[in-house]
Amino acid sequence: MSKTVARQAPTEVSTAAPAFRVLIVDDDPDMLGFLAHMLRGEGMDAETAADGTEGIAMVQAAAPDLVLLDVMMPGVTGFDVCKRLKSDEATAMIPIVLVTSLEDSGSRVQGIEAGADDFLSKPVKREELIARVKTLRRLHETRRELESGRLAGEIQNREAIRSAFSRYVSPQLAERIIADAGEEGELFSSRAQRVNVVALFADLRGFTRITESTEVGSVVDMLNEYFTILTDAAYHHDATIFNMAGDSLLVGFNVPFPQEDATRRAFLTAQEMVSRFAPVARRWKDNYGLATGVGIGICMGEAILANVGSPHYTSYTIIGNPVNTAARLMQTAPANEVLMCGTVYEEIQSLLPAEAVEPRGEVTLRGKQEPIAVYALRIPVTE
Amino acid sequence: MKHDAYTVTVAKDLADLIPSFMDNRRKELETLRAAASASDFDELRRLGHRMKGAGSSYGFDLVSTTGKTIEDAAQSGDAEAVKACLAIYEDYLAKVEIVYE
Repeated sequence: MSKTVARQAPTEVSTAAPAFRVLIVDDDPDMLGFLAHMLRGEGMDAETAADGTEGIAMVQAAAPDLVLLDVMMPGVTGFDVCKRLKSDEATAMIPIVLVTSLEDSGSRVQGIEAGADDFLSKPVKREELIARVKTLRRLHETRRELESGRLAGEIQNREAIRSAFSRYVSPQLAERIIADAGEEGELFSSRAQRVNVVALFADLRGFTRITESTEVGSVVDMLNEYFTILTDAAYHHDATIFNMAGDSLLVGFNVPFPQEDATRRAFLTAQEMVSRFAPVARRWKDNYGLATGVGIGICMGEAILANVGSPHYTSYTIIGNPVNTAARLMQTAPANEVLMCGTVYEEIQSLLPAEAVEPRGEVTLRGKQEPIAVYALRIPVTE
Repeated sequence: MKHDAYTVTVAKDLADLIPSFMDNRRKELETLRAAASASDFDELRRLGHRMKGAGSSYGFDLVSTTGKTIEDAAQSGDAEAVKACLAIYEDYLAKVEIVYE
């Protein structure tokens, strides 16, 4: 059987809108020719398939806007094609007009059961053909407009979410949060959750000297340069930024999504923060005579993850022992040093160069009752 | 019933499709004859059904009515009725004149 595929651009249509595409499936070449001729006369694109199998293949290859489908075809019948297309999610929305014999009311019942959207009697009256196809084209256009409006709204909503949350989390994480948000758009649970978190606190050694000895404008520029490096390093390893105050930064791992290698990520982040800040520290030393460097504390354990605040101001926060401990560790860490609790050390031990690690033994941190094992890691930087 | 002449009025815009349409009818007559000789009523019914759909769509009402008669006759296995239809159809195809407007 020969296949006739002919697209004919309507001469009088000058708009850029794509033509309405109709696929005609019929085993009679004369019917194919007749129907295609009529539709092209109305400025539509008409493609033809000579049997059911070819019709299904053509729909799957490039979904048309409408299918005109003959019922009585040898092999795969029109009912078969209809059922097949209507049961596939990808093609179920394509309207199907079954072309049936005028007197055959049984076919119509069967057609409705197969999911047909409309019927056309054979022999075909051109007025009836045009009227039915035009009605379906209008429906199609309305649906397309509604759909593009809905999509535009959805995109706008997602962009708003993205811009709000990309301040706290890495762009990749923001994508994942949006993807996981679901249709309700609930991003972070409003209820507090208990989670295992790896908390990393970093701050700038020598910062007090900067604020005392440098003019205000420069302090802000310097802080911005410092925080840019730290947040870049955090995003680089998919940390979530929870707090930025003065010269200190709190980031968390394993939140809001589990990260198998959370402690490793924390170590890599700390390393990147220190080593990437080192050249800046050298420049500041040359320009202002300041001794600066990043000090870091890392601890892990159970914490509470929640939106905390008043109706006017809320902050997405982690609260709990590991956060407090990381803060205390950071306070005692000198420049270019990472202090970590024993649990973190045990998990990343294999990644650390033995000569750079110094066990500090059991330490009772300020404000804590129980002593904890503390390990110090020197990050080598060229002075 | 045979006539001296048959005149069919066809929409002008279909003119380009008519030579192929008429060619297909003549081939169809041969296929119908072969099916009738073989008493292949399934094939006769299929061909009759197809004639019924295409004929009037183009403006050839007699093709449709003949097709329906063949379809019904084949359905009831009436070889004589089929034979009579084929004689009329042959006469029609030989004499039909087409007027475009």
